[in-house]
Amino acid sequence: MTKILLVEDNEMNRDMLSRRLMRNGFEIVMAVNGQEGLDLASSENPDLILLDMSLPIIDGWEAARRLKADAATAKIPVIALTAHAMVQDKEKALAAGCDDFDTKPVELPRLLEKINSLLQNGG
Amino acid sequence: MADIKAKAKDGASAGREAALLRATLENMAQGVAMYDADHKLVTWNTLFRQYLEMPDEFLGTDRTFSDYIRYIGARGEFGEGADIEQELRKRLAMLDRSHSFERVRPDGTVLEVRRDPVPGGGFIAIYTDITERKEAEKQLREDEERFRAIDAAAPVGLIIVGEKNQNILHLNPSFCEIAGKDAKALLGRPLSSIFTEAEKSKELAGIINGTSSERKEFHFKRPDGAEAYVMVSRVALDYRGEKAVIASFVDIHDRVQAEIELRQAKEAAESASRVKSSFLANMSHELRTPLNAIIGYSEILLEDATDRGDKASMGDLEKIQAAGKHLLGLINDILDLSKIEAGRMDVYLEHVFLTRLVDEVKTIVEPMMKKNGNKLVVDCPRDIGSVQTDLTKLKQSIINLLSNAAKFTKDGIVTLRLAREMRDGAPWIRFEVADSGIGMTDEQMGRLFQAFTQADSSTTRNFGGTGLGLTITRHFCAMLGGSIEVKSEPGQGSTFTILLPDRATKAAEDEPDSDRPAIVHEPASGDIHVLVVDDDPAVHDVLATTLGKEGYQIAHAKDGVEALHMMRAHPPDIVTLDVMMPKMDGWSVLGIMKSEPQLAHIPVIMLTIVDHRNLGFSLGASEYMTKPIDRNRLIALIEKFAASRRDGTVLVIDDDPDVRAMVKATIDDVGMKATTVANGQAALDWLASQPQPALVLLDLMMPNMDGFEFLERVRQNPHYVDLPIVVLTAKELTDHERGYLAERTLLVLSKSAQPISKLGFALAAIAGRTRDMQSAALTDEKVQ
Repeated sequence: MTKILLVEDNEMNRDMLSRRLMRNGFEIVMAVNGQEGLDLASSENPDLILLDMSLPIIDGWEAARRLKADAATAKIPVIALTAHAMVQDKEKALAAGCDDFDTKPVELPRLLEKINSLLQNGG
Repeated sequence: MADIKAKAKDGASAGREAALLRATLENMAQGVAMYDADHKLVTWNTLFRQYLEMPDEFLGTDRTFSDYIRYIGARGEFGEGADIEQELRKRLAMLDRSHSFERVRPDGTVLEVRRDPVPGGGFIAIYTDITERKEAEKQLREDEERFRAIDAAAPVGLIIVGEKNQNILHLNPSFCEIAGKDAKALLGRPLSSIFTEAEKSKELAGIINGTSSERKEFHFKRPDGAEAYVMVSRVALDYRGEKAVIASFVDIHDRVQAEIELRQAKEAAESASRVKSSFLANMSHELRTPLNAIIGYSEILLEDATDRGDKASMGDLEKIQAAGKHLLGLINDILDLSKIEAGRMDVYLEHVFLTRLVDEVKTIVEPMMKKNGNKLVVDCPRDIGSVQTDLTKLKQSIINLLSNAAKFTKDGIVTLRLAREMRDGAPWIRFEVADSGIGMTDEQMGRLFQAFTQADSSTTRNFGGTGLGLTITRHFCAMLGGSIEVKSEPGQGSTFTILLPDRATKAAEDEPDSDRPAIVHEPASGDIHVLVVDDDPAVHDVLATTLGKEGYQIAHAKDGVEALHMMRAHPPDIVTLDVMMPKMDGWSVLGIMKSEPQLAHIPVIMLTIVDHRNLGFSLGASEYMTKPIDRNRLIALIEKFAASRRDGTVLVIDDDPDVRAMVKATIDDVGMKATTVANGQAALDWLASQPQPALVLLDLMMPNMDGFEFLERVRQNPHYVDLPIVVLTAKELTDHERGYLAERTLLVLSKSAQPISKLGFALAAIAGRTRDMQSAALTDEKVQ
């Protein structure tokens, strides 16, 4: 089963997104801050990471940079999630090494399309 | 005898004296009448007769003074019904002494009458006509009265100040009021007695003694502590024989006070607006978080209900979800507007490819159109190219106009039309959204762009929406250097037009480090040769002047045959080509040029009154301009081509040696140089040490530094913002990647989709062509 690491500090968002992804047949691992996200990325070896940008301890941009700098995790596709629909945020996320980008509130069909596209390319 | 002689002698002498007296009397400017001791008339002069209108038959030495008075009295000289005998008695009583009086005659003339006793008896009466003097005196008196009245009544303070000693020679009540002092305390005193502050008298003296007739504002403190604001003006005059200045003081206290209050009110309002905007921005964020939960969880429940086939719940949940999404839309609009008003809305400029934008917008608005049975018609030339602007804001603006059109039109047609146009010598893009809907009255249009209003308050009930969309759109257009206009008639539909500059530039207050440079005219080096081909001598003149000034070497050909001859002898760097010429037309010249390897690579700018863009491009023209010539655009184009001709190298970045070899061979075939490197890092190193290449061919999947990172890095460098880059990839691109690349590159070519050797023509064309026109011309070759 495809394993997705969801790094999100907001409990409701985490709950909603994880439940909806599980319905769609994904295995979900959850982290509530950037540091925990990095730890789980190494230990759980997920197929894809959904990464919120405004995270405590280590923010999403920094977490993405570290993920991509580490050979063990560099190949895992990362989709940045942010509440701000600003182009600058998108640019920043991509510059930090994220493979794709989506805005919250999440529109599930759109996000699923992006997840599947990255997983196919990676595989 | 002697006595007789003496008498005779006396008589002769008396005759001479009488003649002398008569001559003297006649030469006097007064009327004169002389009477002897018996009051008998002795002599008189003509003026006497004229002044008093005495008939000759009356005048005679037998007449007495009493006869005279009674005569003129009877004539009415003393007024109707006057007691003539009493008038006579009054006069007789005064004859023993000198006296004078004025008499106003019935005809209005004024006579001064003077009677003096003569030694030895008798008297002389002298009449002077003082009518004019009296009139002048009356005039003066009236003038003075008028001045006194004005002086007293004027709401303007007036003072007359002597030039010599600066004393106040005159002042009026209003001045006392303005100064807050009694007239007694000021009259005859120096200016300084007006003020409690010493420097104020100096300031006022400066204004009063200055030569300027301009009005000056003056402010001082009255003795009672109140502030006085006055407008002072001055005029020099002579006052009672002394040089002086009259100064007027208009009290402007109310106006100044109103200005101060207005300023304070404005500052308070602006501050309140900022606080409101900041509150809204924070509030909107706070509102969105729980709303996300409402939308998200209702969606989960909806999915559950769908799985269960629970139709009743599905309907309810769909309503919750739709309401939540609607509310989110409103909050987003409010957030946008508050950001704009708080000055926190950033502009992010990038190359926006218009055909792609239109396709995206179409996909988004299609469902809205269907909802009301509308048909969306798109009218956009495929070669419209790109525009430098803020993609998000432009897209939001167009979607907003289209969704409005869809909302207010039923079973009608909504048209989205894009066109380029020149305004004041600069290129602009026009976006037009026309509908066949309900239209608007002038009054409704007037309110259209104001926040929180729709054309009609009932509109919100009937059609929904925040009423913020157009306000936001108008702000966005302004931020992008453009404008929005509307034309409409009730029942006739509405047309909204957005006009944006081809290249938006950031406002000066934006952070400079992220600012992209606007078009900069680099001075051309003198070794760039431009061949101007045209049969019209005027065009040669204009171009020789325009381009010569920029330092280009110009050669002239007057027809196609001569042009080809000249080109073969000395290939120019750039050709400008007219279409309609004798002997051989421009199309033929272009066709021949592209068929000869030696000439094929030379960029050609079609310069013509015939607008056949597509024919020009299909024959290989790099650019196409219609006459009349827009000089700035031409220079910009030539600079662009000049830059690309300086080094015709194509930089090939690919990790696969086979691909590198194949691409290089292709490029060699079209007569250009190619340099190859194996990854992004090597390419950056090469760029740093070499002149800018004409074109970059970029692979995406490479070790060390991949194509995406290379793009990211290279586009950050302002020198390479316009570097033409074509992506050559075997990678299956995601939508996102495609969008990302589209914003940064000319074209994406798929290695798998078509053999590389087929790309030769495209590459040759790209090398000399502008990014915009290029990408537009080749849009159809996008990866499938």
